[in-house]
This record gives sequence, structure tokens and C-alpha cells, in this order.
Amino acid sequence: MMELIGISPALLFGQLLIGLINGVFYAMMSLGVAIIFGMLRIGNFVHGAQYMLGAFGTWFLLQLPLLFPGLGLPSLGYWWALAIVPLGVAVVGAAMEWLFIRRVYDLDHAYGLLLTVGLAMLIEGLFNVRFGAAGQQYGVPESLQGGMRLGFMFLPYYRLWVIVAGLVICFGTWRVIERTRLGSYLRAATENPDLVRTFGINVPRMLMLTYAFGVGLAGLAGVMAAPIYQVSPQMGQSIIVTIFAVVVIGGMGSIFGAIVSGLMLGLIEGLTKVFYPQASTTVIFIIMATVLLLRPNGLFGKETVAHHVADFSTVRTGSLLENGRFWLAAIAIGGMIFPFFFYPLLGMKILCLALFACAYNLLFGYVGLLAFGHAAFFGASAYVTAHCAAVWGFAPEAALLSGVAVATAVGALFGWLAIRRQGLYFAMITLALAQIAYFYAVQAPWTHSEDGIQGVPRGKLLGLIDLDVSINMYFFVLCVFLFGFGLIYRIVHSPFGQVLKSIRENEQRAISLGYSTNQFKQVAFTISAALAGLAGGLKALVFQIASLADLFFTTSADALLMTLIGGVGTLLGPVVGAVIVVLIQKELATLGSWVVVVQGAAFVLCVLFLRKGVVGTLEDYLGAREERRRLASLARITEKTPKHDDSSRNS
Amino acid sequence: MTEAIGLTVSDLHAWYGDSKALHGMNFEVRRGEIVTLLGRNGAGKTSTLRAIMGLIRKQTGAIHFGSQNISGRLPEAIAKYGIAYCPEERGIFASLTVAENLVLPPILGKGGMTLHEIYGLFPNLLDRRASPGTRLSGGEQQMLAIARILRTGATLLLLDEPTEGLAPLIVKQIGAVLRSLKDRGLTVLLVEQNFRFASRIADRHYVVENGRVIDTLAAADVADGTDRIEKYLKV
Repeated sequence: MMELIGISPALLFGQLLIGLINGVFYAMMSLGVAIIFGMLRIGNFVHGAQYMLGAFGTWFLLQLPLLFPGLGLPSLGYWWALAIVPLGVAVVGAAMEWLFIRRVYDLDHAYGLLLTVGLAMLIEGLFNVRFGAAGQQYGVPESLQGGMRLGFMFLPYYRLWVIVAGLVICFGTWRVIERTRLGSYLRAATENPDLVRTFGINVPRMLMLTYAFGVGLAGLAGVMAAPIYQVSPQMGQSIIVTIFAVVVIGGMGSIFGAIVSGLMLGLIEGLTKVFYPQASTTVIFIIMATVLLLRPNGLFGKETVAHHVADFSTVRTGSLLENGRFWLAAIAIGGMIFPFFFYPLLGMKILCLALFACAYNLLFGYVGLLAFGHAAFFGASAYVTAHCAAVWGFAPEAALLSGVAVATAVGALFGWLAIRRQGLYFAMITLALAQIAYFYAVQAPWTHSEDGIQGVPRGKLLGLIDLDVSINMYFFVLCVFLFGFGLIYRIVHSPFGQVLKSIRENEQRAISLGYSTNQFKQVAFTISAALAGLAGGLKALVFQIASLADLFFTTSADALLMTLIGGVGTLLGPVVGAVIVVLIQKELATLGSWVVVVQGAAFVLCVLFLRKGVVGTLEDYLGAREERRRLASLARITEKTPKHDDSSRNS
Repeated sequence: MTEAIGLTVSDLHAWYGDSKALHGMNFEVRRGEIVTLLGRNGAGKTSTLRAIMGLIRKQTGAIHFGSQNISGRLPEAIAKYGIAYCPEERGIFASLTVAENLVLPPILGKGGMTLHEIYGLFPNLLDRRASPGTRLSGGEQQMLAIARILRTGATLLLLDEPTEGLAPLIVKQIGAVLRSLKDRGLTVLLVEQNFRFASRIADRHYVVENGRVIDTLAAADVADGTDRIEKYLKV
């Protein structure tokens, strides 16, 4: 029957085996992510990098004599690695928890996400600098070479070992957490850590060990992966987003769900490769979207209340920093002077990214929704604008509007799916949805995969102004930016914007006042996507290229980084953040592959030391100064009165 | 000497962030006594228990338990001195069964009750030991919250409003349990708003207002002092 539909059993079973192997790795990785999320409420984005550490650790042990010649170190093989490396990675994880991650437990999820993204960039960037993008080969251990013939297919022993060992580890871990005393401590500590501490249990240490254990699982998966996949610095990056999708499908925090979904999705991915290969990279994300529609809590998830504690800058009303009319004029004037001193191209880059960050801030800063997929809108519009201008010969304004229209439509759809959940779930869902757009662009013919759409003509604006003249293009970008900036200011200060802010402060209360908050979120999401699209389309015209980088999740992370550096929920924050980020990138352009490392470090430092951002910190300083002055003038008034008393008494 | 003295709190100040909750609490609980902290909502009773347990990190003053000053120690360290805390919201874990909730706190000292004794004291819990913790009725949850800190061998129990929102019959039952704990030699510091309940079981009452003790009433004087206390508690 298989033959009838044109699929040979060898191909089918071969792909199923690959799917099962992938599924085992998905299960082991999502298990770690689910444990860490369930117990620590941290979306461990650095999990992929930790998996990569495991694989590299295995390779290092084999290469010891070559890496450290003259020390007489032995070359340690697979079985040694299996014993040593997961422990080593777990120790690294414990150190990371102690140094960084425990500092963000009590903060908004955004900081945990940004911190782990930063750590991942830092680690993967360093390995990239040292080892380059090329993969290292690692042979199958001697004792597991060969395989068995099963009649319909050939089963290598190593793969059999991975499947058996992986399943034992996954279900063993699940059993420990669900059925033992240690597990009951963990589950209780998730619900009420303070109370568990009063029982004499050292919860901070337990959380550190939990994190180390989850990370150790990633390290173990890395060891087991070394002989199957290429050992390369990127290996974690390519798997982590899929893992997050698996965890969402399984139900966040459900350990059993993570294991079963991991295995199942690996198999489904394998089957898709047989029957419809084009969809094999996106099938998991499409399943995720479907599951969210039908069962918002995931297949095995229980309803969990994700407490959303906003920690945004306290903006004083009437502060000059928040005066939109003043800054609109100031940026207009500053923008006009700028090209006399700097290259217009630098200005255009800043303005595009500033508009992108402002659009992001509208959603994250004013509605409190931690979106992590704005690359989709930015990139979609960049591609559509580029295609309309380059292939269809649209005028620039028409191309740009087409881009914005597509970004708006994509935004409305993604928003509709994503606003069903909050906090970190929301972040993961937007991220996974954006990955669909990314993989679509990797495969679709009109996007030209790695090359992107190049040589986009800037054309003549309204048929009159030649945008190929740099200064004309610059002023067009400036006008579009001012339009976007002004529009956001208007929205935020409208009654609609007030409702958005009330959702950020306390969604339940907004609902009880009779607002259908989901509609407000949907509209805000769509506007934010449209403006992100405006920025993306502009960028495509300015740089005359739309590329995969525009759609990659690092672009989403950039939006978050610019907003955080500048100051979340402030008017000027995203603009200041864009200026800082662009200037850093410009200064670092000569450093080549170190850029990612520095960017990762910026993420980490920003989360640890500059949480309110430049504008937020300045705002606090100004507020404190005002308060001091008020108190001083009060003191002066009260001082005068007793002085009179004293003098009268003395005389 | 130190045998007689259980817990002594002297000049305890505590803050939640910038707002001050305790303004110099002074009181003592002798070994084997049941002592109540009475007072209105927001007077600082719960904060006192939380400060003793180390859950409020920003505090000054001294908290002596036996001969040790435990002020500033971490909650997990304070538990090891034999102090156990039962919060007002009871803190039953929804993801754990009744039996798992019951055996969750580890045994830290000698002299704790056995499971057998606990089930004897709270027969309801035995019947419902396999159900999820939060499926119990309010009264049963309160029983469970008290029961689970009896296994640990703690000698001082800090109970925060164990009778809040419970039916009179259950309140009576809890009163009986507290008396039997006293008979076993346990020391209890009880936060209450229900003076009628407290007056029947406690050896001494401290009235708390604005984060400090403003009056003390021994059990012997309860008959004469009831009016005085009720004036304090009146809203």
C-alpha cells in the first residue's frame, strides 16, 4: 500500500527513525526547559547554548592532547564524556544561576528572557569567534558502531542507544518529580517558595540545583548529539526556538507534556519530511498555533496564573521628557541639522530602528505585553516592500504601503493567536509565530533564501522626488519617523491609550470596569505591527535590501534591547535606545564576529544594572531632585516659624 | 533559667520596602504557654510572626529563642531552631495531595508527632489523604496546615488566625487541638481577632496597635479586662 502512494517503506521508516531521534532530543531539551520554567519561572533561552556546550565538551575531551599539547593529557572518549560533561555543564549552569539568573526571579519575565538571550549570544558568540561556523565531526563510539538489519530498514546501534537512553532519562526524571519527596518540595516551592523556606528547606539552593539539573540535561543531550549532528556553535540556536514551541504545545510547566510532545513532534516532523518536505521546518509551529486555538493551555497544561508584575519606569506627568509636542519639534529640528554633521545613512539607520523600537514600546511599554516576534512584521514588510519595488516596479510610497498592509495583516493574525496568553507564554508564542515567517522566507522562491531581495530601487517619491539622492531619502525617512512618533504619542495620550495603560497596570480591574481588554490588546498589537512594518519597509528602501536577518529572532531581540536600554514605557526611551544601539554597532563593525559577544554582554549588563533604561533613570533622577527641592522649600518655610519663636523666647 | 524563657522579642522594628510595619514590638512567650497577639487589621500582628520567621528581611531589634538571637537569620535556619509557622492563608499546596502536604515539612527535631497520632487528632485528614490539598473545606485545610507542622518536632508554633472564616463547630475543634498541644508542652504564639476564642485558651494576651504592644492582659484578668480589650478591637 505504501508503494501505491509512491512512498517506499525504506524512506518512510528511515524518516520515522530520524524523527524519533530528533524527538528524543526535543523531549530531553524541553524537559529541562519545562522544569526550569515550572520551578523558576524563567524562560531559559540559554538552553540551546548549554546543549552546545555539552557537545563541544565531548569534542574537547577527545581533543585534549591536541588542545593542550605537552601536558600529557589523555584523549577521553565518548563514555568518559557521558560521565563528565553533563556534570561540568551543570556546574556551569549552577554558576550562571548564582551569578545572574537569581537576580531576576522577582522581576518581570522580560528581564529573565533578555538575560538568558544575552547569555546565549555571549556563549555562542565566543564559540563562534574561536571555532567559526564550521562544524566539528565526532565519531560514533567504537562499542556502538554497526547496527542491525530489521528487514525493512537498517538500525544503527548508536541511534538505538540514544533512543533507549533518552527515553529512560526522560521518564525517570518525570517519575522523580511527580512521585518522590524531592519532587514534592519542588512542586511546593513553585507555588509558595517563602512558606517552603519556613519548613527549613533551603529553597534558594534547591532552585540553583534545579537549574543546574535542567542545564545538565541539556549538556547530556549535547553529548548524545555529538556523534549524530555536527558539533558547531550554532547547533543550539537552531534548536532552541523549536524547543520553546514544543514546551508551549505540551503545556507550559507540564513535565509529562514536554516529554510526550517532544517525541510526538519529532515523529510528525519526520512524517512531514516524507509527505510534504516543504513544511517540515514549520510544521511544529503550525501545530503550536492550532493547539493554541483549540487548547490555549497546551495539550497537557493546567491553567496556571502567570503573575505579571510590571516594573516599568514611573513616568511623572508633566515631565519635560514626556512632552511629545516638544520632542516632536526637537527631533524635527535636530533631524534637519543632523545631515550637516554626519552621514545621512547613519541617520536613516537610527530613524528606522527608532521607529521600530517605538512601535515595539507601544505594545511592551504601554500595554505590558512582552512580544518577542516583532521581527516578523519588520521583516515581512521589508520583503514585501522590496519585492513590490524591485519586481513589480511599484513607486516607493506604494511599495511601502503594501509592506505596511501585509505587516498589519500578519500582525492582526499573530495578535489574534497570541493574546490568548500572557507574560512569558505570550513571548514564546509570538516568537514561535515569527519563526514560521522566518522559515517561510527561507524556502519561498520569491524571497531568494540566503541572498534576500537585493538591489531594491528607491525610485521617485510621488513621481517627483528622486530618492536615490541620499539627502532626499533622508528627509523622507525623517518625515515618516515623525509621523510614526507623533501617532504613537497621540495613541498613548488618547482615551484608548489610557485603557491600554490600565491593562498594563491591572488587567483584571480593567475587565471589571467593563473593557473587553482582549479587543484593546488586539488593536494595540495590530497598530504596533503596522508601525514595525513601516520601519521595516523604510529599512528595505534605505539599504535597498531585504534579508533573512530582518526576520530572524535577533531582530526581535534588538527591538526589546533598544526599548530596555532607553527605558520601557517612556516616550523617548526607544529613540535613545536606538541611537545607543546603532552607535555601538557602528563602533564595533570592525570587530567582526565579536559583535554578537558584545551585544550579548550589553543585554546582560543592561538587565543587571540599567533596568530602567537611560531615560527611566534620568526620569527618576529628575523626580528625586524635584522632590528634594520641594522638601527643601518646605523646610525653609517651617524653619522660619520656630526661629521667630526662639528669638522671642530669648529676648 | 533559659528553660522558662521561650521567645523574647525586644524592640523589634520591621519594614516592607519603605513603609514601616513594626515600631518596637516587645513581648515574651514562656515555654509551654499559649500567648495571643490581639489587634485590629493592619496593627502589625501578622508582620510580627513574619518577622520572627525571618520572612521580613528588613528588621532591627532582637528576637531571642532560648538563648539564641535569631533576628536576621534566614527562614530555613530559623525553622531548624524548632519554630514553625502556619500562615493566615494556610498555604496548602494545590499540586500536592493531602498526604504529600502533610509530610512535606521535613522532621527537624525530636518529639514531633507521628503520622498515627496526627491522624488520631485529625481523623478527617485520613479519609481525604489522597485528594489534592486545596479540594478540602476551609476547616479541613486549616487542620492540615496545623497538622503538617506538628510532625517536624517544632517546639514553638506561630499560628496566624487559625479560626478566621470558620464555622463555630470547627473553631471549637481547633480550640481543643490547641489545648492538647499545650498539654504536650508545645509553645504557641497565636494571632487572633476573635477574642472570645482566644480568651478561652490563652495564658496571656498582648494588644497590638500601630506596630507595638500597647497593653497586656493575663488570663486571670480576662473577666475584668474584657471591656477594655473589646474597646481596643472595636473598629
